[in-house]
Amino acid sequence: MIELRNVTKVFNKGRSNEFTAIEDVSLSIGARRLTVLKGPSGSGKTTALSIIGAMAKPTSGRVEVFGREITSLPERFLSRIRREHFGFIFQNFNLIKGISALENVMIPAYPCGENHGVLRNRAMGLLELFNVSGKADSMVNWLSGGEMQRVAIARALINNPQVIVADEPTAHLDTKLSREFMGIMAQLVRDGRTVMIASHDPLICDSEDIGMVVSFRDGRIEGVQENR
Amino acid sequence: MIWIEKQRNIIDLALSSLLRKSGKNLALVIIYTAIVFILASVVFFISSLKREAALVLEASPEIVVQKLVAGRQALAPESYIDAMRGLRGTANVRGRLWGHYFDSTVGANYTIMACDDDAQLAAGTITIGRGMARTLSLKKGDSMKFDAYDGTSVDFKVGEILPYRSELVASDLILLRSDGFRRIFGMEEGSYSDVTLQVANRKEMATVAGKIKKLLPDSRPILRDEVLRTYEAIFDWRGGLLIVILCGAVLAFIIFAWDKASGLSFEERREICILKAVGWDTSEVMAMKLWEGAVISLLSFIFGIIGAYLHVFYTSYFLFGPVLKGWSVLYPSYQLIPAVDPYQLAALFFLTVVPYTAATLIPLWGAASIDPDEGMRL
Amino acid sequence: MIMHPAIIALFAGSAIVGFMILYAACHGIGILRHWDLRSGSELQLRLERRTYLISTMMSCAFCFQIFSLFLFIYTADNLSRLLVGAMCGAGSLNANCYGYPALLFKILNFILGGVWLIVNYTDNMAPDYPMIRKKYFFLLLIVPCIAVEIFLQGAYFLNLDANIITSCCGSIFSGDGKGVGSVFTSIPVAPVKASFYLLAIVSAVSGVLFCLRGKAVAGIIFSLASILGFIVSLAALISFISTYYYQLPTHHCPFCILQREYWYVGYVLYLCLSLGVLSGASAGLLMFARGVESLKDILPSIQKRLVLISLVSQLLFLIVSAWPMIFTDFKLVS
Repeated sequence: MIELRNVTKVFNKGRSNEFTAIEDVSLSIGARRLTVLKGPSGSGKTTALSIIGAMAKPTSGRVEVFGREITSLPERFLSRIRREHFGFIFQNFNLIKGISALENVMIPAYPCGENHGVLRNRAMGLLELFNVSGKADSMVNWLSGGEMQRVAIARALINNPQVIVADEPTAHLDTKLSREFMGIMAQLVRDGRTVMIASHDPLICDSEDIGMVVSFRDGRIEGVQENR
Repeated sequence: MIWIEKQRNIIDLALSSLLRKSGKNLALVIIYTAIVFILASVVFFISSLKREAALVLEASPEIVVQKLVAGRQALAPESYIDAMRGLRGTANVRGRLWGHYFDSTVGANYTIMACDDDAQLAAGTITIGRGMARTLSLKKGDSMKFDAYDGTSVDFKVGEILPYRSELVASDLILLRSDGFRRIFGMEEGSYSDVTLQVANRKEMATVAGKIKKLLPDSRPILRDEVLRTYEAIFDWRGGLLIVILCGAVLAFIIFAWDKASGLSFEERREICILKAVGWDTSEVMAMKLWEGAVISLLSFIFGIIGAYLHVFYTSYFLFGPVLKGWSVLYPSYQLIPAVDPYQLAALFFLTVVPYTAATLIPLWGAASIDPDEGMRL
Repeated sequence: MIMHPAIIALFAGSAIVGFMILYAACHGIGILRHWDLRSGSELQLRLERRTYLISTMMSCAFCFQIFSLFLFIYTADNLSRLLVGAMCGAGSLNANCYGYPALLFKILNFILGGVWLIVNYTDNMAPDYPMIRKKYFFLLLIVPCIAVEIFLQGAYFLNLDANIITSCCGSIFSGDGKGVGSVFTSIPVAPVKASFYLLAIVSAVSGVLFCLRGKAVAGIIFSLASILGFIVSLAALISFISTYYYQLPTHHCPFCILQREYWYVGYVLYLCLSLGVLSGASAGLLMFARGVESLKDILPSIQKRLVLISLVSQLLFLIVSAWPMIFTDFKLVS
């Protein structure tokens, strides 16, 4: 479903600080599975994830998402694909401070031009699903770590994407919250979504819900391990 | 419809984003408002001066004929009036008596004028302008002393004070009967300050003026329309000059706005990163930033315009009135008739909002084109 | 020169619009030279980013251009008080040889800018930006037109002298008795009337045909008819439509209808006219993109929408201009 073929990403090409983040990566990721990109920090897994998530264009190589070649698409279309097909969960959750939890959840859907009221109801429904509807109108600055996590997941789901992409989601969470997170991800996979997580947290990498583990080191794939 | 909903959503976020950064934006709005305020004050003041002048001249005669002796204005003889009455197309040929009177007690110059029809005023009474009444604290029924040409003094009673409208020119006016006028200044019967007349057909005005010049070679006919044009040109010139000078201030403001727009705080940068990472396009982030700018512009424009309106029409433009008035500095305070039209607002829009928008465009784009994958690295 | 706040505003506005277009065009050259969508290089990324700036700049410049057009007409109207013999804007523009050309170029640039934005919008709908080179080449062509406009406007205002009293002589006696606005009265009524109605019929038929069948020929005919119709409508407005509004067979001024005495009807008329020609011309221009594979699904619907907008505005123009002919007693006797 997601195909990377000989993908290389070079930053600051031709300058003294040239830096190759990933080199010649080829990878095929199946649908409705939980895939983990594993590796130490700086190994290129975040870059790989951002290329898969249509956030960055590779310097060379080709990427196909749902059978569509996206490397030659201009930014305008990449953001549309990103918005429609991917939901993102970031390391620090990256919620926008100073606005309510509800608004944070609605933000990815704003450019779609959906009616504000309808959108609001949908966001409210998602918050209810994760038991944080009581905090819908509070500023995100006042939420606890667990609540922020659930708001971030709700935001990733607002556009009903097929793929959820999470980058080091448990880096700042305690064991209980990390388990809770993995539980939700496993449920999403059971609901028919594809989940991709970049992490070096053993709690995630050793979880039994994982379908595939891809190990990165120094910008290359070190090994692919299929479960089940 | 989708477009409208989309913009509505984006505006929603832009507004809340503005409110969060109200501290940073407050300084911008204050300076922006000040710039609009100053420019709008000039424009409003100029146009209301023009209106006042037009209002005053509306009632004045279409042609004024003066007699020139050695390039200086001299008294017009009765024969002038007779000669012009003979011309075709003229009406209401009339000699006027008017001049200036210097009041040494308060050090002010008044315009003194005999009214057209002596029957309008009782003998020994005068009508005075509001400005004069204010300075000399005169009321109806008070008496006022004039020093005549021969050193004697003449007493007049204040019969009436001129109405409020068009204070600009009538502020220092004294109206009296022609015999009183001749008594004060020692002018003989049969001589006039100048001669006024009307022309039946407006289009014939220039032709009639030409005929007068031919008939009375030592005369100088002045057309009302030309006086009006001259006033307009002078007022426009002064206003334009002031605006050119103020362009320096606008430029400084533009540089300030540019700087403000390019210096992104950590929090703003983070916000844009997040928006782009979750699927906003550069154009949508730009739209949000443009809406923010539009709100700032709108607020500042409205505040500035309201401020200028109050400044010009209710506080007597105390800031720079003297520069613009020029010819009427001697006058006590007077108020202008409020008048603003969309045309002035359009000109002001071009002098403030357009440069602001243009200046913030490039920094704004720079901010909006942060790599979306930076959101991953926050 | 007459120094007037609005004139300074116009100068400032032109300078800004000129700068924006020039800036956009300079970056357009970079795009023309290095554009390669298949490349993942950082240069290509930078160029792609730049297209956003250029689009936004052009949109802003276009908005400012509309404002500037109206401010220009309004200023001309206002200046008539300073010029002997000028009764309204028509006379002021006639005060020197730059007035009308400046106005024409302002209108031309308004249309060019609008067409560019529509082409840009269409191009952005296709993921391979099929018209990117063409549209940036087109942008380069707009630059000289803007330059000419700025020059003409500057020359017009700088060569304008108010006829004011100087201290030595009282009166100027407005020497040249040339009738102001006489340029307009010379337009013959009958042929203009005939071609006006003929073009209205042609564009109505071809427009409806295009909307229903989507035939390219109909689209091209419609587009040509709407461009021609724009010019003829302007002539018609001057030669006979305006007289019905003024109820004066001798008054042909195209500017006085913008005033309050005539319920600002001019704004409606000019808005319809410009919308009509803008969308009509763009629909025709987009015919050249019909063969592009990636636009195949989107183009017909965009064109249909444009033709529809054009048709509606032309119809509205017709209704508004016919209104006084039908509902007032005034008859134009030639």
